[in-house]
Amino acid sequence: MTSKQTILIIDDSEMNRAILADMLGNEFDIIEAENGVEGVAMLQKHGPEISLVLLDIVMPEMDGFGVLNLMNKYHWIEDIPVIMISAERGSTHIERAFDLGVIDFISRPFDALIVHRRVVNTILLYAKQKRLTAMVAEQIFEKEHRSSLMIDILSHIVEFRNGESGMHVRHVHTLTETILKVLLRRTEKYHLTQTDISVISTASALHDIGKIAIPEDVLNKPGKLTNEEFAIMKTHSMVGAEMLEALPFYQDEPLVKAAYQICRWHHERWDGRGYPDRLKGDEIPISAQIVALADVYDALTSERVYKPAFSHEQAVNMILNGECGTFNPLLMDCLRDCADVIQEELKGGNLEDRSHREIQNVALELHKHEELIASERTLELLEHERMKYSFFASLTKEIQFEYTVTPPSLVLSTWGAEKLNLPEVLMDPYQNQQARAIMDARDLDNLADMLHSTTPGNPVVTYDCKLRVEGEERWHRIIARAAWSSEEPPRYTGCIGKALDNHSSRLQMENLERQASHDTLTGLLNRAYAKKRIMERLEDRPGGHYALAILDLDYFKSANDTYGHMFGDQVLKFLAERMRHSIRGGDIAARVGGDEFLIFLEYKEDLESTIEGIYNRVNGGVYEDFKISVSMGVASTELVDADFETLFRCADEALYVVKNSGKGHYSYYHEVHTHVGEVSAVSPIDGESAAGKTAQKKGEQV
Amino acid sequence: MTLKECYAALGGDYDEAMGRLRSERLVQKFVLKFLNDGSHQLLCDSLAAGDRDEAFRAAHTIKGVCANLAFNALLNSSEALTEALRDGRPPQPGEEELIARVNADYDRAYRAIQEFQAGVSE
Repeated sequence: MTSKQTILIIDDSEMNRAILADMLGNEFDIIEAENGVEGVAMLQKHGPEISLVLLDIVMPEMDGFGVLNLMNKYHWIEDIPVIMISAERGSTHIERAFDLGVIDFISRPFDALIVHRRVVNTILLYAKQKRLTAMVAEQIFEKEHRSSLMIDILSHIVEFRNGESGMHVRHVHTLTETILKVLLRRTEKYHLTQTDISVISTASALHDIGKIAIPEDVLNKPGKLTNEEFAIMKTHSMVGAEMLEALPFYQDEPLVKAAYQICRWHHERWDGRGYPDRLKGDEIPISAQIVALADVYDALTSERVYKPAFSHEQAVNMILNGECGTFNPLLMDCLRDCADVIQEELKGGNLEDRSHREIQNVALELHKHEELIASERTLELLEHERMKYSFFASLTKEIQFEYTVTPPSLVLSTWGAEKLNLPEVLMDPYQNQQARAIMDARDLDNLADMLHSTTPGNPVVTYDCKLRVEGEERWHRIIARAAWSSEEPPRYTGCIGKALDNHSSRLQMENLERQASHDTLTGLLNRAYAKKRIMERLEDRPGGHYALAILDLDYFKSANDTYGHMFGDQVLKFLAERMRHSIRGGDIAARVGGDEFLIFLEYKEDLESTIEGIYNRVNGGVYEDFKISVSMGVASTELVDADFETLFRCADEALYVVKNSGKGHYSYYHEVHTHVGEVSAVSPIDGESAAGKTAQKKGEQV
Repeated sequence: MTLKECYAALGGDYDEAMGRLRSERLVQKFVLKFLNDGSHQLLCDSLAAGDRDEAFRAAHTIKGVCANLAFNALLNSSEALTEALRDGRPPQPGEEELIARVNADYDRAYRAIQEFQAGVSE
């Protein structure tokens, strides 16, 4: 971080900016914006790095008041002081500027010394305020911490005398706090604030201080108390209250008031059958009602010399059954609601957690005071994060982006902006032709839709599309995370993400896929891939009629032997080409291996003429000197089971018979008996002689 | 021509400018910069195009610059024109004269500074 502080000058006149920059440039880093929109973008980009803004009023695009309005809307004005400089002299302008939160108004013409002094003063003032804010916060933490420590010690003294575990006070504190939070969510009936929760839970630790006045032989009597002893025992609630009432100071402290209520009435019951005052229902202060419930619950769920620890369910049931008197039904609901939380809290309810919780409460309180919204520490953390981000962003060669819905703006990483030939900060990117040209409108809509349909719990989307980068369309993978506000219901506020160029890897992938699925010599599908496709087809429409034909080039071996392998390859390619032209669009043609090929097709009725047509186009003629003669076996799902293995095996058997009976023709497979695989049992029908006989029934004896 | 003489020629107040900017170097730097300031051109162009809002902003900028540099003649005429153009007011009688005065004062300032610049570069 540079030690110089940064001043942002927003003025449309270059002359004016130059004059100001000259006056202040020795002591401060100056950044400049030539209109309101640019100014806002700068504020967004640099945030709290900016120590002061010098703002002109009359400017194109967005004037000074527009900037102030946005700075108010986003609460920037609370952290970044603005001095307005203008040749406007009208008092309405000046008044409006002060209303919008400017700290000072300097009219033109200005005096160099005055501008300098006012700028320095303002920056010092703000720095001091930030330091003070931090100090106040620290002191509150410290004070809160000390007082709860004192209360802890005090209440433990009571417990020691009582012979209790020492955890009881802590448990009651945790339970009280937890139940209060749930209650606050459920109802506004009791007008509870975060402060009340903190005060009541702290005061809960004092609920049994009156026991200090109970004679030890009664207090720690191992057996059952007599009526007389119980009467003595019962005085502890009133005694505790009286002790607090007798305090010479602090009578107006909320903590003392809450502690008084809790001490006196934590043995009252909802039905009016408690003590000492037999209060009923909501006559009992809510603080005492909750502590009473917490007290009983913890007694039940903790182990004592005379009883084991009961489970949460057991304890709730026992309380519901009135074994410890009756309680506010609403509080019972709260207790049930927070069963999980309670068990977690009680398990891990050590001192550290607790002070952490208290600090959270204080932090919540602090949030209510506008002037304390951003402490110095928060700003430092932010600054640190920003530095980390821009460092890592500069290391990676990625297009990183951040989009905000209001005001609509797009921020790109330095590298990304260069690559896309766009500015790093772009206001209203949807209106920018150059930005729109990078991505197809349809892709942009799709991506926006996907982001809007995410949830705060699952905000990340991945989208592959082409981007126009440096005049070239290249495939990119966009990984983006939607940003949702923390309010209820959450609002979509924008997204962050990056676009990775996966063009070459994608092409390579497509290529590999092609290589994996196609026969390199003929360009037809290979056997494995054809099988996959055929199985998919059969599964897709199991009711359809399908046929599979296996073709074999006759005398191919002699072609190889006579003319060599190169020639053989040419013949195979020639045949593959013929096959490609002989089949219809949806049919599948593949090279099974060697000189064996297959064709798979779906048919409606007339299989005969389809097969005949294909055979006649594939068979016959010559390639150079070599006579093209093809043998073919066909199996159809009307006769055999509709699965690839069966179809293939049966077609192969039909082919085998053709090969053994003179070659150069084709034949259908007919299953004549159940022992498939015995070639002799298969009776192929010669293609020529079968013409016209279409429907061969399964199992028919030929 | 000295800077002081230049100020006299363009109807400005040299002492006032010095009092504000505190150094002759700065005053000279910004006076010379005035030659490259596009505000007057913008004023002429937007008046010609009938864009009175833009013309207002341009006149306003000239006014601001002149105020800082204590170019009082041009400051006064541009201030009068600024008010005439404020809030998209329709042209009033006498506006032509206001424009003519701004142009005359601008030309006067421009020529004086050019002459001063010639002396500086020698």
